[in-house]
Amino acid sequence: MPEVAAGESLIHVAIKAEELFTLGPLEFTNSMVGALLASAILLAAAWVFMRRAALVPTRTQSLIEFPIEWLSTIVAGSTSRWRGYVALIIGLFLMILVSNWLGLLPGVGTIGLRHDGEIVPFVRPAAADLNFTLGLAIVAFVVFVWWGVRVNGPIGYLKELVGEPRYMAPLMFPIHLISELSRLVSLSMRLFGNVFAGEVLLATMLALTTAVVFVLPLAFFVPAVFLGLELLFGLVQALVFALLAMTYITMAIAEHEGGHDDDHSEASESQAHPQHSEPASA
Amino acid sequence: MDSNLAAGLAMIGAIGPGIGLGIGFSKAMEALGRNPEASGTIFVPYILGLALTEAIGIYCLVVALILIFAGG
Repeated sequence: MPEVAAGESLIHVAIKAEELFTLGPLEFTNSMVGALLASAILLAAAWVFMRRAALVPTRTQSLIEFPIEWLSTIVAGSTSRWRGYVALIIGLFLMILVSNWLGLLPGVGTIGLRHDGEIVPFVRPAAADLNFTLGLAIVAFVVFVWWGVRVNGPIGYLKELVGEPRYMAPLMFPIHLISELSRLVSLSMRLFGNVFAGEVLLATMLALTTAVVFVLPLAFFVPAVFLGLELLFGLVQALVFALLAMTYITMAIAEHEGGHDDDHSEASESQAHPQHSEPASA
Repeated sequence: MDSNLAAGLAMIGAIGPGIGLGIGFSKAMEALGRNPEASGTIFVPYILGLALTEAIGIYCLVVALILIFAGG
């Protein structure tokens, strides 16, 4: 093992995605490879399962369909009828889930080109790049503002931003505006922070175990435990992102129906559609 | 060196979310103990609450990580 200078860490994690090659004006980074791979996996899976899909599902098919069905129960339970955004929420969930789990495959952060003495991996989990998470958050932001404007109308949406006692508008309007924009920051930062911290955690554990490589079992089991933990975190973060996006959209819509009383609008919705009032089977 | 110290100090901010997460989790468990059938309804608001609380800790973590890996 090479001698490491004091203060220099064994762990190499770049906070921004490293550039692989340039494509005209576009810098092609390794997190873009990760995102494209995740999309390719999703598209291929969709194609395969759409072709094989039967009305009476086989065991594999129902295994694949179960999580999607479960999520659609939760998402559909938040609205009185099927709206276009439900598909978007499930799409966000699947995209984040696949790209998170893709990052845990062996070789993802380790195989790459040697560049200036440091390895630039070919693939980087997409959500460990703020550009990707911010992109997803912008999509969610545009969609919930669009639904708010569509359901309430542009005037109604502005009225929501101004708030109830009209004379408080000079104070409340900037606050509401900032709180809308802060959702963008919190959505993207949460996902990025979790996934990037997971990468750092795994790199740290691997570095620790190579430092004490003479305890051989440790080198295998300690990273394995944290890989298992990261599997769970990847799922939870995908779920959290999707559910938060769903909640923001539902809030933008519900503001119209029940004024400020969310419970009221929810109750009237579940009265009209009793099948959604029962708790989602978890 | 300085940025490492700053990163350590930044993580002091993770104390608050830690306490908050504990309170949230204990309340959810209490609710579940009182009313086990409600697990389905509790689940989604619970996850959302944890996510919103946890975000504050994650901000600290992001600041600390940026200080370590990009602060120099």
